[in-house]
Amino acid sequence: MTLDSGVYIAVSIFILTYIFIISEKINRTAIALFGASLLIGLRVISQDFAFEAIDFNTIGLLIGMMVMVSIIKRTGVFQYVAIKAAKKAKGEPFRIIITLSVITAISSALLDNVTTVLLIVPVTLVITETLETNPLPFLIPEILASNIGGTATLIGDPPNIMIGSATKLGFMDFALNLGPIIIVILGVTLVIFKFLYGKSIVVDQNLKDKLMAFDENKSIRDYPLLKKSLFVLGLTMIGFILHQYIHLESATVALIGASLLLIISKKDPEDILLEVEWSTIFFFAGLFVLVGGLEKVGVIEHLASGVLGFTKGNLMLTTLMILWVSAFASAFIDNIPFVATMIPLIKSIGAMSTISIGPLWWALALGACLGGNGSLVGASANVIVAGFLQKTDNKLSFISFLKVGFPIMVLSVFISSVYLVLFYV
Amino acid sequence: MRKYMMAEVEKHQTIFSQLGAQVHVMNSLLCYITFDIDGTEVSYVYNVNKKDKYFLQRIEPYPEPAGTFNNEDELIDIIKIDIEQFKNAKNSHVFSDFVEINKSLSQTVRNFEDLYLYYNVPHDTMDNIKEKLDDIRTMIKEAKDSSERVYNKKDPDTI
Repeated sequence: MTLDSGVYIAVSIFILTYIFIISEKINRTAIALFGASLLIGLRVISQDFAFEAIDFNTIGLLIGMMVMVSIIKRTGVFQYVAIKAAKKAKGEPFRIIITLSVITAISSALLDNVTTVLLIVPVTLVITETLETNPLPFLIPEILASNIGGTATLIGDPPNIMIGSATKLGFMDFALNLGPIIIVILGVTLVIFKFLYGKSIVVDQNLKDKLMAFDENKSIRDYPLLKKSLFVLGLTMIGFILHQYIHLESATVALIGASLLLIISKKDPEDILLEVEWSTIFFFAGLFVLVGGLEKVGVIEHLASGVLGFTKGNLMLTTLMILWVSAFASAFIDNIPFVATMIPLIKSIGAMSTISIGPLWWALALGACLGGNGSLVGASANVIVAGFLQKTDNKLSFISFLKVGFPIMVLSVFISSVYLVLFYV
Repeated sequence: MRKYMMAEVEKHQTIFSQLGAQVHVMNSLLCYITFDIDGTEVSYVYNVNKKDKYFLQRIEPYPEPAGTFNNEDELIDIIKIDIEQFKNAKNSHVFSDFVEINKSLSQTVRNFEDLYLYYNVPHDTMDNIKEKLDDIRTMIKEAKDSSERVYNKKDPDTI
């Protein structure tokens, strides 16, 4: 096969796969795997190359965290925390919104966003049903907080996991570089919630009393498992903080934690592994192969030179372009394939120019993660909550989410721009 | 889809644990079996799980819990016999009456439950209902003694 025909085949397969992923006409995992297999079948890349293109650090980290969460959630600790928080807020709706949003943001920074909202949303619905109030003013802030909180750490959102793995940036690099700005963005977002929902939700005192009668201790289903889970989660977090200094990959830390918890929890691994989102894992694998194909035939290098030509190698312009393009793209298309494509692009920019690409990684992380708040389809957490509400009386429409999410996304990206310009370029 | 189901389960667990329940969630497979016996649908639902407990329920032509079984052979035998009996019963000219009476009995059980749970029923009324039920049971026993037996592979479970 000539190099040119390889380029055409790789680009065509990649574009068609992207179109199918965006249109959702075919399951995203199925089409990504099909596209990847075609690249091998048509001899654009070899099978050995395809396996090498899969970033097993990202895959391992995702699996490790999914296993741990699957065990931890069986303790009922999330329900405990949510009910305790609602009671601390004395059943006052807006105070509940704020506390649950903060809890969601922190949980999303330490676990993945989808899992966090899937654990917080059910208990939030029980709370809003008890208060006989519309759940949307509670759920929309939780979704937004989840996407914001997930941006703060290496393990909080899949784009960060991918960036960390590709660049060797560690847990503490993410926490120290993105944590401060995320705290500011979350604070500003909470102030906006105050204006949006502060006085609009009124609940009778007898309903608040009903909520105050909840016993959070009843939520804990297994105290010994809770102790073991918190112990292993604590150790794993220490592992993440130290992994760069002890020269261990983040996936190694997550998999040690996951396997240790599997052993000491005595839970049946078959049941636990059933909860791992294998379709997401295979989606990642397919994308890594597809993007690897583009890299091999030189398309990524070509795109990188185009970007450099446009920005003339200006760091500030390149940083801001990556930030805003990532944010708008992630608001409407899946941010995982987008980031998978951007990572080799940024690496090529670094290789082809003299500019420091450090700020570009933070721009990509902030844009891709915060962009998820731009629309209902912007992030998996949004889609999951909307799907969960589909069979209830309180459906989350694209427009109702857009009205709140999009302005908050634009504001967050604007704050991020100021932060990056002031401290990095 | 599994994510939504798990979130639904989380919500149920929160609600029931606040009501004081111990909730055990286990992975299982639900099997829905349908037969078409000369235009009459006979269907069952049961779940298969690691604990080897099979909860069998007949859905059509009228709903009836068929019990819990400890192994799949027992469960398959019960369904096989049930189907044979329905095929046999389908030949009877009172089959539609049989189905209607069974549906009516199921409905009566619900009616009685509602009566008791929603109203303070006088003792005399309860005695009266009990008496009428005893009459029906006697009628069934007398009908059994005077009718020709048409299925012999297994003895009846309750009469």
